[in-house]
Amino acid sequence: MTPPVNLSVVGSAVIYLALVTGVGIWAAGRTKSAKDFFIAGQKIGWIVTAFATMSAAFSGFVFMGGPGLMYRVGVASLFICIPVGFTSGFLCWVVGKRLRLLAGLREIYTVPDVILVRYGSRRASGLAAVAVIIGTIGYLGAQIQALGILIEMVFGTRAVLGQWSLPAAMILGCAVVVFYATAGGMVAGVYTDLFQGILMVAAAVAVFYYCLHSGGGLEAMSRSIVGSEVFGPSHLDPFGTLPVMTAVGFFFVFAVGLLGQPHMLHKFFMLSDPRALKWMPLVIGLTQSACVLIWLGIGLAVPALVAHGRMIALVNPDQAAPQFLLSFTPPILAGMVFAGVLAAIMSTADSFLNIGSAAIVRDLPKAFGRRVPNEFFWGRVAVVGIAGIAAVFAFLYQDLIALVGTFAFGTFAAALAPAVAIGLNWRRVTATAATASMATGMVVNLGLEFLSKQTFLDWLPSVSLKAGVLPAAVSLSASFTVLLFLTWLSPAETQPDLDPDVEFVMDL
Amino acid sequence: MARRSALLFLGLASPAMLVCGWFEGFVPELSFVLLVMAFPAALIALAVARDGKLGPLCLPLLALTLMLEVCGIAMLLLRGQILEAPWFGGFPVAAAIQIYGLWLGPLLLVALAYGLTFDHWELREEDLRRFDARRNRSDGNTEG
Repeated sequence: MTPPVNLSVVGSAVIYLALVTGVGIWAAGRTKSAKDFFIAGQKIGWIVTAFATMSAAFSGFVFMGGPGLMYRVGVASLFICIPVGFTSGFLCWVVGKRLRLLAGLREIYTVPDVILVRYGSRRASGLAAVAVIIGTIGYLGAQIQALGILIEMVFGTRAVLGQWSLPAAMILGCAVVVFYATAGGMVAGVYTDLFQGILMVAAAVAVFYYCLHSGGGLEAMSRSIVGSEVFGPSHLDPFGTLPVMTAVGFFFVFAVGLLGQPHMLHKFFMLSDPRALKWMPLVIGLTQSACVLIWLGIGLAVPALVAHGRMIALVNPDQAAPQFLLSFTPPILAGMVFAGVLAAIMSTADSFLNIGSAAIVRDLPKAFGRRVPNEFFWGRVAVVGIAGIAAVFAFLYQDLIALVGTFAFGTFAAALAPAVAIGLNWRRVTATAATASMATGMVVNLGLEFLSKQTFLDWLPSVSLKAGVLPAAVSLSASFTVLLFLTWLSPAETQPDLDPDVEFVMDL
Repeated sequence: MARRSALLFLGLASPAMLVCGWFEGFVPELSFVLLVMAFPAALIALAVARDGKLGPLCLPLLALTLMLEVCGIAMLLLRGQILEAPWFGGFPVAAAIQIYGLWLGPLLLVALAYGLTFDHWELREEDLRRFDARRNRSDGNTEG
């Protein structure tokens, strides 16, 4: 990738990094307990929570990878992001209210905490913690890697540092996130997320305007693409370039699988008042949809410009966003978008640092019947530790970490969504069914994804599913199937005695 | 009734989706689309039903399910017909259905249905009173 060293971009990035560091320093003074550190003291209002949920959900992929994917496969790629139209309300209805109410009655900081209280099973909770740690390393490693690549590109460090450029850039980016995540915990996390979320929305809306402007409007861009020899009509056919099973599988995994994403569920524990849920879906839905405009806008504008001969065809589709920004938007906006991408990556990374440290310091010890004496202190240590592990993996096993990062969403979805979403809404679900469902989701997803994509171990068999069927969709369906059927098959005498608080919350 | 129907659907749809993945052709694709599009509404119905009823959410959930199903089927039937089909809102109709029908339509429907029914269905004043009373009683109980 050609480093687009540009003063506006560098200036925006420097200002952005300074601002989030400032938020970390401010938040450090407000973080005095484990509750502050892990769930921001449960004092966060609805607008901040909504923005934090939105910005944690969207990584840099929406800003850079999405437009590139749309350049490659057309509107079929939108099946990944268009579920945002209804997923915020879906999330609040299915799990949001009960998670928040439960967190008001019990000491709940994490999803494995919820599993422990709901099922009364340390085995189920421990398995959830393992899923969280595996997914966290993957997600976090991928974010750190993306952060390094972006910083390297913005500051043009490769020309100066050569082979040490990427590790140096990864260390710089990682140091900033680790600083504010360690000092200010989730207080810093949510307030940087608020700032990052506003930046992401503003950048996406402004870029969409420039997309429409440069391409001559939606219909002009669409007609250029349809009439082009390079792209053609299939580019604007929802099922034109990907098999139906893949496209609709994306829709299924990114809609229903959201119910198992710990970085999203975690935000409900922080909400100061359950009444604040009322307009959260509207704010989350609108802000997420605003961010998706960059995917749609650049995804339409670049092929249209290529079709018109105003841009040369891209060799690497991931260049779609940077090329468009540097050629068709004012430098200040390009700088703002690069800062927005940094924001998107960091907001996801800080959520995972917090969740990962909680899994190590709280969830795993509790699964073995132990408590760490000073969770606040050890939580901070664990943030540094987990960032270090993820960064080392990201640097040493660059291909592997990218692979793990891509299927982390599916791992969380398949492992946690049925146990949380059905378990909080149906009394009959047993700990055995939940444990079996989580194990099925994790093993099937990791097994299928790894065997179908890995190239590291030649002797392992390859697995290919039929007609573009997604491993994540298979594992999520399998996990739901196991949970529902094991529950139905459980004899009446094995029905769980629910914790009174859980029973109360499920009644509301 | 709503909860039972939702559970029955989820229990049948989950393995059926797995089965769809084993076969190729229009029928498995159509079945997969139909099952996937109804899955979110079934989960919502399971969560929001009170005494087996969906109350004011019955119509919005029905509308959401119909919207997703109709859009899914329409996109499938319009596959490969971009040049012949009419245009709407700046896109060939199949893409317009995807963008306006699957993304922007549900955005307003779901968010407004959630907000407007919140106080008298999702979390009523009496629920909050019971919750506050229980929280006050259980203060001090911090064992997770």
